[in-house]
Amino acid sequence: MKLLTHNMLTSHVKGVTKGYPLLIKATEVKVNEVEFNPQFVSRMIPKLEWSALVQAAEEDLPGELVADYETNEEFLKKVHRILLEVEVLEGCLQCPESGREFPISRGIPNMLLNEDEA
Amino acid sequence: MSSQEDESAGGGSEPAEPSSSPSTEIGTTSGDIITVTIGATVPTGFEHTAAEEIKEKIGVDARISKDRGRVFFPITTDKLFQVHLLRSVDNLFVVVEEYHHYQFKESKEETLMELQQLASTLPWTNALEVWKQNGTLKKKKGHRRGGNTAKSKPNCEGVGGSMASTEQQELPQENSAPEGWAGDTQAMETSTQDSDETGHGSKLIKFRVTCNRAGDKHSFSSNEAARDFGGAVQEFFQWKADMTKFDIEVLLNIHNEEVVIGIALTEESLHRRNISHFGPTTLRSTLCYGMLRLCKPQASDIILDPMCGTGAIPLEGAIEFNHSFYVAGDNNDMAVNRTVNNICHIQKRRADKGSMSGLPIDTVQWDLCSLPIRTSSVDIIITDMPFGKRMGSRKKNWDLYPSCLREMARVCRPGSGKAVLLTQDKKCFSKAISRMGGLWRKQHTVWVNVGGLHAGVYLLKRTGAVFGQTPEDVYESRGLTLVFSLV
Repeated sequence: MKLLTHNMLTSHVKGVTKGYPLLIKATEVKVNEVEFNPQFVSRMIPKLEWSALVQAAEEDLPGELVADYETNEEFLKKVHRILLEVEVLEGCLQCPESGREFPISRGIPNMLLNEDEA
Repeated sequence: MSSQEDESAGGGSEPAEPSSSPSTEIGTTSGDIITVTIGATVPTGFEHTAAEEIKEKIGVDARISKDRGRVFFPITTDKLFQVHLLRSVDNLFVVVEEYHHYQFKESKEETLMELQQLASTLPWTNALEVWKQNGTLKKKKGHRRGGNTAKSKPNCEGVGGSMASTEQQELPQENSAPEGWAGDTQAMETSTQDSDETGHGSKLIKFRVTCNRAGDKHSFSSNEAARDFGGAVQEFFQWKADMTKFDIEVLLNIHNEEVVIGIALTEESLHRRNISHFGPTTLRSTLCYGMLRLCKPQASDIILDPMCGTGAIPLEGAIEFNHSFYVAGDNNDMAVNRTVNNICHIQKRRADKGSMSGLPIDTVQWDLCSLPIRTSSVDIIITDMPFGKRMGSRKKNWDLYPSCLREMARVCRPGSGKAVLLTQDKKCFSKAISRMGGLWRKQHTVWVNVGGLHAGVYLLKRTGAVFGQTPEDVYESRGLTLVFSLV
């Protein structure tokens, strides 16, 4: 699971209203090289929930976006790495409200709910 | 429009009398650049998409044939390698000759006799030169295994060991290329060995003729045409006929009055290029490519396939339109595992070639009627919806389609969002869509053929309406139905 995906995932357990962002508990992480495309990163940033990304990343990302980030290549490369290159292979995602854990195995988060949770 | 169609391959009959061989030795190399016409078979319905791609990558205008699923374009031999970059094309061939209004003789005997005579008069030279150059191109690339040789082991560790690839979905493939045939490099070697055995100085070429015929007014069958034409070709070139281990595949395509003679440039169809781990309904890559082009992915678009199966569509996207990001999802264990296996397989192939292996794609296991995705966070939804024939059922679709469409509308960005949905259950789909005018608008439909079934690819635009506030939503969520009464 890449952190870009994590940024979109939310808990949808019945009754939960604050199911985002999911807490990441990783037991195995891998870094995979992905071709850097500055336009991709700079256009993606406005679509993200920035605070959730900051929380999820282990790197120190600024809490607020700096002005002119679109042209700051070093910054974009950092964000690129966090969004696309870091992958959680094993672990789980935890719903911040209900505590329900969604397992991650082989990089695949299993978000299926049991009948009583749906 | 009903027309008789049949196809067959012929290896040539016994030559009547030995006639002198032509001087078209395949050994001659001309350093000159020549222009030839290339024919390409593409998924029916996506001819225009293919023409677009050809314009983009080769820079020429393609002509769409009346015979559906075929496009033609000119190319110079120095640019030949470009044809192998095309992703919307199933098979490629070089045209020897084209007749747009071929006047067939009245009787079968006369028609077949004429076809035989045709063989020796056709302008073979340029086409054969291209075939030869193409062979060299392929050797340089190294033989690319198509999906037919799907015995490759998964390259990632973990679950799902060796998936037996049960390739059940087969399209009515026009050129019935033999299954599991390894490639032209092998065939070349075989024919060289043969020539040593026979003691001839020159290399003995092996060939076969494949004939596709469609039309009600023909007095002959494709079998007969292949046989007689093949026999004449054999006599003319003194090649050896071989149904399975051939070097050259001569194509004889007859569609009403249109006759095209060509030489194949691809021995396996390119349509399964990405997939090594098949599922029961894996979509061919050329169809995936066509669907992706329809939605015109932009840089940083977030593209979801909520019923990804083996991941064919998002994977093709991650490779060909790699400036977007793909999330492949399915509720089924086997499906998500196969998707990951397919992704790993491609990544390993890229790593082996020395390029950066990572792809902009991720896989999640989810229930598509309750997607664990933030509202309005997705730009494009692209998927192959269950047809209800090979997977699911018609009755299930009745309930599934509306809930699906609603959930997809929820996650899709209002105003700019799009959906490209493939389905064979057109009735169910149309009904479901008609009740969602507030959320989805039909923009365009492409009619295609998938495994013999007629299906539709629907391009939808997400309206600007906020989810949960359109009239249908209000009624749907309250479980009310509108009742019209005539007074």
